[in-house]
Amino acid sequence: MLSGIAAPAAALDFTAGEQRRILRHGPWPPASRPDPSNRASGEPAAIAFGRALFFEPRLSVSGRVSCATCHRPDRAWTDGLPQSRGQRAVDRNAPALFNLRFNRWFGWDGAQDSLWAQNLRPLLDRREMGIGPGGAARLVRSDRQLSCGYRRAFGEAPGADDERIFVDLGKALAAFLETRVTGRTPFDDFRDALARGDAAGQARYPAAAKRGLRLFVGRGNCAFCHFGPAFTNSEFADAGVPHFIGPGRVDPGRHGGIRKLRRSRYTLLGRFNDDAGRSTAAGTRYVRLRQSNFGEFRVPGLRNAALTAPYMHAGSLATLADVALHYSTLDEERLHAGGERILRRLDLSARERADLVAFLETLTETAPRHGFVGKSGAVQCR
Amino acid sequence: MARPRPGGPALAAALALVLAAGEAAACDRPEGWTGGARIAGDLWTAWWRSEPAAIPVGAHFSVRFHLCGPPAGRVRVRGWMPDHRHGMNYRPEVTLNGMSGTAEGLMFHMPGRWQLLLDIRGAAGGETLTAETVLE
Repeated sequence: MLSGIAAPAAALDFTAGEQRRILRHGPWPPASRPDPSNRASGEPAAIAFGRALFFEPRLSVSGRVSCATCHRPDRAWTDGLPQSRGQRAVDRNAPALFNLRFNRWFGWDGAQDSLWAQNLRPLLDRREMGIGPGGAARLVRSDRQLSCGYRRAFGEAPGADDERIFVDLGKALAAFLETRVTGRTPFDDFRDALARGDAAGQARYPAAAKRGLRLFVGRGNCAFCHFGPAFTNSEFADAGVPHFIGPGRVDPGRHGGIRKLRRSRYTLLGRFNDDAGRSTAAGTRYVRLRQSNFGEFRVPGLRNAALTAPYMHAGSLATLADVALHYSTLDEERLHAGGERILRRLDLSARERADLVAFLETLTETAPRHGFVGKSGAVQCR
Repeated sequence: MARPRPGGPALAAALALVLAAGEAAACDRPEGWTGGARIAGDLWTAWWRSEPAAIPVGAHFSVRFHLCGPPAGRVRVRGWMPDHRHGMNYRPEVTLNGMSGTAEGLMFHMPGRWQLLLDIRGAAGGETLTAETVLE
């Protein structure tokens, strides 16, 4: 006689297979450890120095552009623009700076294999900040505050080696950005309630979000790439988004990224890696260049995605609803996947698309730990 | 799950095949191994195991293998996702020491059904041994 036992409605919603797939998106936050390639990782003095550098406009050739110009803490660490503007306009969207410590690759094309190397890229690119190693080193050596911050972070005064100082700035910035880990979300509460069999906890999760979650881990195929607690497998995909960036110009995406990586002096296989054992360099050592990398871009994590519009590598989709519509009406002819069969036109109904968006919105942290972080909080260095 | 490839001169190949089949049939778990799985082909049989033992999604892992059969000259290790028709984003490096070897740098970057393929070539011919695993 089971009819008299009322099973909690929430527990009936998902099959055992769906529950397994949901559980793998947590727990959050995952355990983390300092980055062995960066001797400043996790060091409070380096974090403080990195924070000061993040808001420092003198790290640009014009003296007017800082990291925070395109990655505004008050705008979820992005700028809200389809394509960003530093010294000049660039071709890509400024990604939000959340949860970077869990990435394997950095930049939309993965041309960098560490967070510290990624931080050097805008300092080298004249469209963004462009100060370069010489300019950056001169600034740090000549400015009392920056020189003091460097000494505290790295245990020695800035020396004569411009490139070493330059790379160390990237490492201090990385130490700061590693601290930007998103907080708990309504999805995490639901996921953990599911894990411990807490029906009341599961029931608090909105019905529309549950339907969207079922699509996400099921028919939508989203979780193949948006895998794991950070909702990304940290790899690359062709999402069927046009990659033309002007007449006769295309963004090669990952194909160009691997080529840049192989030419770069600032990789985990190079001399600036502080980890003699190269324990995190497997990706760089074994990465493979394929024709199908053309037009692939990094799979972004989805935590706080609702705060970081517009979407895709060039900001071509204005809202999450547009993203759902994009995959629903995907033009499979646009894929350059070399015969791959991951993405398919989903043909979602309007309600299904709304459900998917409702789910994605529950990936927004409930008590943001990423409100405005300004330069004003910087500690004076003597 | 083996796909034989054309070998060398007909007589030598036929002889090698006969010898190999006999040798491949008797292939014990390598000494010191507690886990691992066996894949039998026409020419070679392989014992293989991953490190870590449970293959993670989206993280690098390595594969150790031991072959029984005719001498192997070259072994390539690949991953393939048949439902999606794509392989791995990384090219593993294989070190072969006699009939044993290690492949470093594999990564299965999404959940689902994956095949681990060992492409083996030697004087006796060539063959691909295939093992399957489903990652959740």
